[in-house]
Amino acid sequence: MSDPLLSVRNLHVTYATEAGPVPAVRGVSFAIERGGSLGLAGESGCGKSTLANALLRLLPAGAEVTGEVVLDGRNVLTLNPGGLRAVRWTAGAIVFQGALHALNPVQTVGDQIVEPMLVHQTAGSAKAAMAKAADLLGRVGLAAGLADSYPHQLSGGQRQRVLIAMALACDPLLLIADEPTTALDLMVQAQVLALLDELKRERNLTLMFITHDLSVLTYACRHLAVMYAGRIVEEGPGWEVFGAAAHPYTRGLAAAFPTIGDPASRLAPSGLGGDPPTPGKLPSGCPFQPRCPLAQEGCAAAEPELRPAGPERSAACILV
Amino acid sequence: MHPGVTPLVEVDDLHVHFGRSRAVDGASLRVYPGEVLALVGESGSGKTTLIRVIQGLQTPTAGTIRLEGSRRDRSSRRAIQTIFHDPAVQMVFQDPTGALNPRQTIYEIVAEGLRIARSGGDERHKVLDALSRAGLRPPERFLPLYPHEISGGQRQRVVIAGAMVLEPRLLLADEPVASLDASIRGEILALLRRLVAETGLAILAVTHDLGLAWNIADRVAVMYLGRIVETGPAEQLLGDPQHPYTKALLSVVPETREMEQQILVGEIPDSTRIPSGCRFHPRCPLLQSGTLPSAVAERCRGADPGILPPHAVRAAACWAVTST
Repeated sequence: MSDPLLSVRNLHVTYATEAGPVPAVRGVSFAIERGGSLGLAGESGCGKSTLANALLRLLPAGAEVTGEVVLDGRNVLTLNPGGLRAVRWTAGAIVFQGALHALNPVQTVGDQIVEPMLVHQTAGSAKAAMAKAADLLGRVGLAAGLADSYPHQLSGGQRQRVLIAMALACDPLLLIADEPTTALDLMVQAQVLALLDELKRERNLTLMFITHDLSVLTYACRHLAVMYAGRIVEEGPGWEVFGAAAHPYTRGLAAAFPTIGDPASRLAPSGLGGDPPTPGKLPSGCPFQPRCPLAQEGCAAAEPELRPAGPERSAACILV
Repeated sequence: MHPGVTPLVEVDDLHVHFGRSRAVDGASLRVYPGEVLALVGESGSGKTTLIRVIQGLQTPTAGTIRLEGSRRDRSSRRAIQTIFHDPAVQMVFQDPTGALNPRQTIYEIVAEGLRIARSGGDERHKVLDALSRAGLRPPERFLPLYPHEISGGQRQRVVIAGAMVLEPRLLLADEPVASLDASIRGEILALLRRLVAETGLAILAVTHDLGLAWNIADRVAVMYLGRIVETGPAEQLLGDPQHPYTKALLSVVPETREMEQQILVGEIPDSTRIPSGCRFHPRCPLLQSGTLPSAVAERCRGADPGILPPHAVRAAACWAVTST
């Protein structure tokens, strides 16, 4: 990749708990080029939200982070507080999941969109910031008049759009969207996905999209990375990974979202047996091996590294 | 489709109003023994209110609900109180963590329904059997555990075991896999389908997930603003949708990328202000396309297409469909 906007190398995040250190992210490396998009797939506890928060150093103090996160030429993990403030919102901004909890209930949504612009002095004046907030609301498909509303007066879909408008307030280069559509209805999800697509095209926005829904990611992102137990276990171009997964875990995840009209999945739901492992209590060898339909001797011996699995593709499985 | 078969559930012209809000506004449907019916709709469609009436948790404003012929009529408040704990109808909720009492063991949770229903017999045997049928094996291992000691997928299996222990004939499932991880989803859906095959149970599954309908439903009913707007066998309805609303919903499922997307603007209107004429007409892409003959378009704006006949095998409440 010639000019990555974000490059992450060997990132580890370990939480200190009463029961001892719990590794949540265990050596993750990837890069996203300017204007590119990466979909990060994974289930509860795989470390994907921890990873997202680590990119802008938003983790609680008890989390130990090592490795390198270079965003727009700056190593986020070594920045001083002033430098960090300059990176947040303007170089990279996050849309969190759970739109109700991420908004302040006693402040109008307009004020909440204006706040980062005032803090970062990106709008010029308070009046210009208000005008930009109204403009942003329009961009996300909301009436400018909603700026005077409080979060509880809005529907779930409207609140999610407010969060996107807020994340765009300082014209970030990178937008990190952590499960932005999970709580939304199908039609509202489609509206949000179309909006993100438009922003990518019009503003050359770089997108990192995180969810367990592989089909949504494939739709929204060119590249896909699948996380399991704190590591990336497969990556490659979206439709190729979704359509012809190299890792048995990705295959199981893809089969969970049937293609309507496909006779193979009609009255035949398919999934993986067992449950995702608990961070800190990983099985030996490949962490997926206890659930893997293809597990064989040797899988429990050593954890496989990512290895090439075709053009632009790689997977961490000894069968590849 | 079901000639001569007595429906398990008959819902006729059901209305549920909360003040000026008409959450359910003339819904009719049938559920037959041994089938899975997916009731599909977005937030605000009234689908959850409808199954709450069937469960007896909500008194309807008007209309009738019959279970197994006319033996139990759920239309009056008194009737609801007397059959509140009808073991024939059980419910599986969306979030298993919220549905389980954290201070009860798995044994107590599953046995509770039996005690309330005063079902008698060998309680321990019934609990073990229900856990085993729900895929928790060996069942003895789970009896002394508390909900926090098992995984999310196992919790949903406990919820299903708690419902199945009463040998219901109808299971109401409200988004049964929406709060579960993707890799677990398929296993729970496969379990529901297996219970139908093994026990002749009927399932009414409320969902916004069309993939779920494709995975497990025999029939699908699509609900919009308090009414069923299209119904049919799953292959036909999902493969060849008739109502413009169903078409739009299917077009935005991320898996169906070959279809041209029809993204509707805005959200379902407030049920205190149901549009006149066809309730979908202000958002209807077909009407907005301007391709409809003016006589049909006039009807869309001015006349209600009415309530679908409850026995209809395949029907859509749309003037453009009935006019061609």
